[in-house]
Amino acid sequence: MEVPAGFLIVSLLLSCFVASSYGVYFSSLNATLSVTATPTQGQVLKAGEDQITVTWGFNQTYPVGTDSSYKTIKVKLCYAPISQKDRKWRKTVDLLKKDKTCPHKIVARPYAASNNSFTWTVERDIPSATYFVRAFAFNAQDEQVAYGQTTNAHKSTNLFEVQAITGRHTSLDIASICFSAFSVVSLAGFFYMEKRKGKASK
Amino acid sequence: MSEIEGSPGTSMHGVTGREPVLAFSVASPMVHMDRTAKFDLPVDSEHKATVFKIFSLANPHMRTFHLSWLSFFTTFVSTFAAAPLVPIIRDNLDLTKSDIGNAGVASVSGSIFSRLVMGAVCDLLGPRYGCAFLIMLSAPTVFCMSFVSDASGYIAVRFMIGFSLATFVSCQYWMSTMFNGKIIGLVNGTAAGWGNMGGGATQLLMPVLFEIIKKAGATPFTAWRIAFFIPGWLNLIMGILVLTLGQDLPDGNLGALQKKGNVAKDKFGKVLWYAVTNYRTWIFVLLYGYSMGVELTIDNVIAEYFYDRFDLKLHLAGIVAACFGMANLLARPFGGFTSDYMAKRFGMRGRLWNLWLLQTAGGAFCLALGLVNSLPLAIAFMMLFSIGAQAACGATFGIIPFISRRSLGIISGMTGAGGNFGSGLTQLIFFANASFSTEKGLSYMGIMIMLCTLPVSLVHFPQWGSMFLPPSQDIVKGSEESYYVSEWTEDEKQKGMHEASLKFAENSRSERGQKVASAATPPGNTPNHV
Repeated sequence: MEVPAGFLIVSLLLSCFVASSYGVYFSSLNATLSVTATPTQGQVLKAGEDQITVTWGFNQTYPVGTDSSYKTIKVKLCYAPISQKDRKWRKTVDLLKKDKTCPHKIVARPYAASNNSFTWTVERDIPSATYFVRAFAFNAQDEQVAYGQTTNAHKSTNLFEVQAITGRHTSLDIASICFSAFSVVSLAGFFYMEKRKGKASK
Repeated sequence: MSEIEGSPGTSMHGVTGREPVLAFSVASPMVHMDRTAKFDLPVDSEHKATVFKIFSLANPHMRTFHLSWLSFFTTFVSTFAAAPLVPIIRDNLDLTKSDIGNAGVASVSGSIFSRLVMGAVCDLLGPRYGCAFLIMLSAPTVFCMSFVSDASGYIAVRFMIGFSLATFVSCQYWMSTMFNGKIIGLVNGTAAGWGNMGGGATQLLMPVLFEIIKKAGATPFTAWRIAFFIPGWLNLIMGILVLTLGQDLPDGNLGALQKKGNVAKDKFGKVLWYAVTNYRTWIFVLLYGYSMGVELTIDNVIAEYFYDRFDLKLHLAGIVAACFGMANLLARPFGGFTSDYMAKRFGMRGRLWNLWLLQTAGGAFCLALGLVNSLPLAIAFMMLFSIGAQAACGATFGIIPFISRRSLGIISGMTGAGGNFGSGLTQLIFFANASFSTEKGLSYMGIMIMLCTLPVSLVHFPQWGSMFLPPSQDIVKGSEESYYVSEWTEDEKQKGMHEASLKFAENSRSERGQKVASAATPPGNTPNHV
């Protein structure tokens, strides 16, 4: 039968154009976790050296039993709005699987209502930017069901900075200079030698 | 081509697709062969090869071909080496979207000027030194990436590396000293296409190097800097190979040979005038900006696009991006082939329609690329776009040799520069702006490609017609001779300077398509003694 086959192909093609919109939306989550971190407002941490201690737990002001579905906690380092400006690859999107606000993982732990804490050394691939810390609670199907963060809803308070490593090394700089010099000198040398051979043979 | 040696324009006179792509050898009785010369390939009276044996390394002709296209390939690798690593570099240097876009513009802008200067350099020092100077002096600029610590340094270094794209000129010039005019079209088209592949190969190479160096223990922000040493070493190695294994001319090097006889030079000012006052030149400058230009733009943005939009890992995004550039292996020669094929039946009108169709199709697929949300469709549209754009590049140089005989070199050079200018412009408008996303930029660029290809319908040759108008019925005005000889003044005609143009006009009658036999020879235009 031709009609159903054609219809199938067309709908398959069309479905590729339609963005899949299944998944958890951030606006549907409640901030039932309370999260605190050691950096104070405006503090600058050095990547590879300084540490962040994060403590998190269930916010007791919420009804008992709200956290019955929480199975794991993932704590993440997130970009503040000022570091997302002009950088679409860090954009905040409500659909969590497309959200790029929190790409850096700090720790993942099984859920416990209280007494959670972790000390993390800021890794050397963290870029220079302004950050806050956010924790997500996941259920057994690995979907986000709740969150908590160190800043307010507008992401404007309690933000800290990280100063990244440059990635430069003196040994690299020296190697670079050596090879560059070799290139220029060998070119000049060839040129000079051929000019001399040319003059000598005339 | 037995031309006036050294005249302005001969440095670029190899850049044609005019000869049929399948002409692997010259069988014409008009070419004077030198059968006493002891070369691996049959040669003509200037000792230029008349046969193109791709897989041979025979000295000097085929060796030159391979050294030449590899040098051009290497500069493409170096110029676009940063592109697939941008997701790492933008975090290390804290770049904004406009920084990244501006760096992309800078990387293609430098060679607008260096390509124009390179012709003169080749005339003075020979193509061997022209090529070697450029790649060995740009090797330090590649090594400079290890010093970069902020956006301005990044933009400056990418600008300096971009100068090396002028090896396009030395490559084509060198081919034209080694290969006979009848096969130079295929040779140059292949060399240009294979060189352009470097833009694709680098998208594959750099992420792989980065991953290997990271596995060896370096942090990401150091690993990418170390990865840049490899393109730098490639520049160095190719430069040394060119100097030690290459030679300028079939018989030896420029410095060692004695310069021959009288050189009748055309006046540079005149050649420039006829290039600039021919409106077709400018239409093709615009058009090439939207075939080659968009190809260079995509080389700069596509890996980052696939990394961000489809969440691919760095080396996977690189593989996808590489497929775009590597299509040059066949797509560019394909464009030349279809141009020649259409010309056989429909003449120049066929070539113009072919170019319009290929380039517009490329634009349509670029528009689609920005619209789709699924990875397989995006890759499919990207490949179709690459074939359209790259074939259009090949088709463009199937028409350029016919715009002017006297100013071919300069027109080719201007068109080439137009390609880089188009790339800089599209990156500036569509990809350096934070106000719209990369996918919107791609779609808008696709629309702009289609709009900017429309002017090809304005290109009219009185002797052959245009896309919508037939050739002139006037016996005198509608002749090839009248078109090509109009570039010479009466004084110059008295001196016989227009003889080569007359010969070319006669040969170009094939551009009438299948109506060649019925073309009436205009009276009094073809001198008896030609």
